[in-house]
Amino acid sequence: MSALQQGIASSLRLFVKASSWTSPTSITGSSQIIRNFHPTPCLNELRLMSRVRCVDNSAIGKQAMAEGKPPKVIHVYNKKKVGTIGDKVLVTVKGEMKKAIIVGVKRHQKHAIPRHDTNNVVLIDDNGTPLGTRISVPVPMLLRKIMKEKTIAKGADYTKVLSIASRFV
Amino acid sequence: MKVGLCAYSAYKIYPGHGKTLVRTDGKVFTFLNGKCERSHLMKRNPRKVTWTVYYRRKHKKGLEEEQQKRRTRRTHKFQRAIVGASLSEIQAKRNMKPEVRKAQREQAIRTAKEQKKATKAVKKAATAPKAAPKVEKAKQKIQKPQQKAAPRVGGKR
Repeated sequence: MSALQQGIASSLRLFVKASSWTSPTSITGSSQIIRNFHPTPCLNELRLMSRVRCVDNSAIGKQAMAEGKPPKVIHVYNKKKVGTIGDKVLVTVKGEMKKAIIVGVKRHQKHAIPRHDTNNVVLIDDNGTPLGTRISVPVPMLLRKIMKEKTIAKGADYTKVLSIASRFV
Repeated sequence: MKVGLCAYSAYKIYPGHGKTLVRTDGKVFTFLNGKCERSHLMKRNPRKVTWTVYYRRKHKKGLEEEQQKRRTRRTHKFQRAIVGASLSEIQAKRNMKPEVRKAQREQAIRTAKEQKKATKAVKKAATAPKAAPKVEKAKQKIQKPQQKAAPRVGGKR
C-alpha cells in the first residue's frame, strides 16, 4: 500500500503547491485547482475498450498486430467485467468479432503468478479451438488448471489452447 | 522443491518467495524481491551493483579458497659439455681443490721457467752478453702462466 500512499502524497503536494486556499490571508493570483490527481494507482485492468496483444500465429491476429490496430475488448465473460488470466473475452479484430482467452496480464498478480509486460490474448472460436497453431510467448502454468475447470464436457474444450503453447512459465 | 536463482542478484529463491516477470520479447525474469525487481527495471547493471553475486564474481571477491596465482617457473642451470672439453673434464677442473690447483700452477710455472732458462741459455750462448740480463728479466716477467679461469657455468653472461 506504500505505492498508494506515495501516490496520494505526491499528488497532494502538487495540490498544495498550486492551490491558493491553503493560506487564506494571502490569496495569490493563481487560482489553479488540480483536477487530475488519482487516489488509486494505475490498475492496468482489462475491461471494455482495452486494446490487447494477440500472441498466436492466426492470420487475422498477425495482420491486426502488424497494421497497428490490435484487437479491442468489447465484452468480458466474467461477473466482475474485469478480465484476468484464463477469462474468455469478446474481441473485435479487423472489423470482426472473435472470442479470445486472456493468456497474460499486465496487472499486478497474486503470489506465484507471473506478470507480463503486455496483455496477451489468444483468439478462439466458440468451441474453444484456437484459430492459430502456435503461441510463441510464455504462458502461465496457472492456465492449465483454469482451462480444465472451464471446460464443459461435450461442450467447449478450452484446454486446446494449452496444446498450442510452446513455453510455460 | 526447486530453488531458483534471482535474475538480477543471482541469490537463491526458495519456494514461497520471489516474483516473475515475462517481458514483451518473451524473456522471463525471476526476482528475489522488490529491490532486485526495481533495480532491474531501473536498468541498473548488476555487474556494477556491489551487493550482487555478479559483481562479486567479476571483482573476484571472497575467493580465497580458490586457486592462488601459479608459482613462476624457474629455469634450472645445466652444465653442458663444450667442443673443447667433455663434461667429465669440465667437472674435474671445476671440482679441483685449491691446493691441487696451486700445486699444478706452480708446477706449470716451474716447468715454463726452466724451459725459458734453457732457451735463454741457448740464446745467451748464441747472441751478445750485453742484451742478456735485460731480455731475461723482461721474459721472466711476461712468462708468468695465467691462472686458468674457472670454467663457465651456465647463467648470465
